[in-house]
Amino acid sequence: MPPLETLTIDCQDQPIRAINAAIRDALDAGTSVTVVNPGARHNIGVGMVTPGDMTVAGSVGYYCGGMTDGVRIQVRGSAGWGLAEGMLSGTVVVDGNAGNGAAASIRGGTVVIRGDCAARAGVSMKGGLLLIGGDVGYMTGFMMQKGAIVICGSAGDALADSMYEGVIFVGGEIASLGNDAVIEAPTGEDDRMLDAAFAEYGIPRPGRLRKIVSGRKLWNFQHEEIETWRQAL
Amino acid sequence: MAAGPVTGRTLRVSPIFTPAVIDDIQEKAELGRYRIRGFGTLRERPLPSLDDLTFLPASLTRIPLEGYRERCVTTTVLGTRYAENPIELDIPIMITGMSFGALSYNAKVALARGAAAVGSSTTSGDGGMLPAEREHSKTMIVEVLPSRYGASIHDLRAADGIELTIGQGAKPGTGGLLLGSKVSPEIAAIRDLPAGVDQRSPARHPDFLGPDDMIIKVEELREATGGKVPIFIKIGATRTFDDVKLAVKAGADVVVVDGMEGGTAASPEILQDHTGIPTLAAIPEARRGLEDLGVFGQVQLIAAGGIRSGVDVAKALALGADACYIGTAALIALNCNRALYVEDYEALGTQPGACHHCHTGRCPVGITTQDPELMARLPVDEAAIRISKFLGAMTLEVQMIARACGKSNIHDLDPEDMRALTIEAAAITGIPLVGTHWVPGRGGAD
Repeated sequence: MPPLETLTIDCQDQPIRAINAAIRDALDAGTSVTVVNPGARHNIGVGMVTPGDMTVAGSVGYYCGGMTDGVRIQVRGSAGWGLAEGMLSGTVVVDGNAGNGAAASIRGGTVVIRGDCAARAGVSMKGGLLLIGGDVGYMTGFMMQKGAIVICGSAGDALADSMYEGVIFVGGEIASLGNDAVIEAPTGEDDRMLDAAFAEYGIPRPGRLRKIVSGRKLWNFQHEEIETWRQAL
Repeated sequence: MAAGPVTGRTLRVSPIFTPAVIDDIQEKAELGRYRIRGFGTLRERPLPSLDDLTFLPASLTRIPLEGYRERCVTTTVLGTRYAENPIELDIPIMITGMSFGALSYNAKVALARGAAAVGSSTTSGDGGMLPAEREHSKTMIVEVLPSRYGASIHDLRAADGIELTIGQGAKPGTGGLLLGSKVSPEIAAIRDLPAGVDQRSPARHPDFLGPDDMIIKVEELREATGGKVPIFIKIGATRTFDDVKLAVKAGADVVVVDGMEGGTAASPEILQDHTGIPTLAAIPEARRGLEDLGVFGQVQLIAAGGIRSGVDVAKALALGADACYIGTAALIALNCNRALYVEDYEALGTQPGACHHCHTGRCPVGITTQDPELMARLPVDEAAIRISKFLGAMTLEVQMIARACGKSNIHDLDPEDMRALTIEAAAITGIPLVGTHWVPGRGGAD
């Protein structure tokens, strides 16, 4: 059932503890939240665990939506480092760009960045979906464990370095693959997942998407793979 | 170096290429990689240690307390700087972070129950919070590690303290390691890893890099927990003076310094033996860092790394710590290296008293294993009692030393209660060498 009302919270002259307490109280009461004058403040919406809707009318600093579970967050601007880090479920959609470590170590849910991402997007991801409309920086998907990263634009160096599992799709150019990252052909199931994700968030699907997965040479030490290990460790 | 007479001759052994070095070279020639093992440093050349200090109990210049009778407070409070709910423990000895994965379920639950019985705490480790550990712990610290395995906001909310782990004494600057033999389907599911994989944890946190970013990270952890619980920052002891100051600047309520004697369930051997600084050096450096910022006593200090006894704890407190973590000592209290199931030690190529094979997952006494049959060798009830007795015994030892030094509170022990037994310990700690007023580099030889 949709919330009956929306509460506007003004960040101007308020400490972050008070801002987050107001957001938490509103979500607990079943009220949607619009946060205005965010001023790129850090830690907006951290640790929210009551499902509900939160819109931030502007740009945010570090860790917006970090360590959340089940909240739907819209950022009508750009985001700093560690966007949605450690999220368990829910969605975080950013209209602009995101700094380093977007969706770091998320275990579920969906993070959408309509613009570009800096380095290490999806680092140590443990589940969920990271959908990026633009380009990404170096070491995207570093040590990724599970989940999917979809990059419509181009990827920087060391893409998918040392990933355990999970899958990365890239529409543009790849500067270089990381250690033990390999390209394989997408499956029909991949296509269905991708079509659904693009349709849900209104992002045009690139004409070509290359699929990157783990070569699994780093899973267990093998002397025959010593060259790979030398680079990895 | 002589190896002793053989058939009438004395065989000469190289002091450079000793039998241990020969074994090391030949092992690596087989493996094709660095050697990995558990337990902690096995280096043959001794480190400066807390054994290089001695207490000066009361005589005529001080009045002792009755050693077996008079009240001697052991209450330990951590997190008084910012936290709404500081942690209050009955004793100054806490169980350090050891993961469910490195340790068996039975070991984790026994540690929790044993610690709770004497009013102490347990810590989660690099694998998320085991719900049963929370259930059986009176006070539980949940770690936030670079790997973030099993990390959950719900676990942080259930914690009595949060420990942001930057490094550990056994392998500062390097992430955790759990070989595939211990990554059972259950452990793999908790950590979101493929079963059987050699898990190599990251060394860097995924969402911050340096001390400036860490300030924001600490704020985030406070926001996530409503400012209620203390935030610890744990560092492997290296450049401890500067690191402690940076941790304080980042907003730590409590700083943990883990010396190079710290244990591990698996690590490259060279890191255990050749990186970090000893606990003896780490505590005075940490204290100087706190004093330099004027927060000694406001930001609490936990010392870790090779703490074995109440005497070690008393020395750490006297040097400036507020509490100590124990890890390996607690496992030994559980029966690690005890002469049980000797044939299984032999199958690992070792023997009781010399086992450091935690990394194999074949722990003969059921502590560092995920094998249900081996784990059954550690009955939780008995093991929990051993832990509570050991922690109780250690606490009595601390009180014994404090009373002898005339202190009615163990936290009143201070450096003046000790003397250094070696010149290097005097130089490291700033405590005068026995029989002199001399501290190398500071004068006072007269």
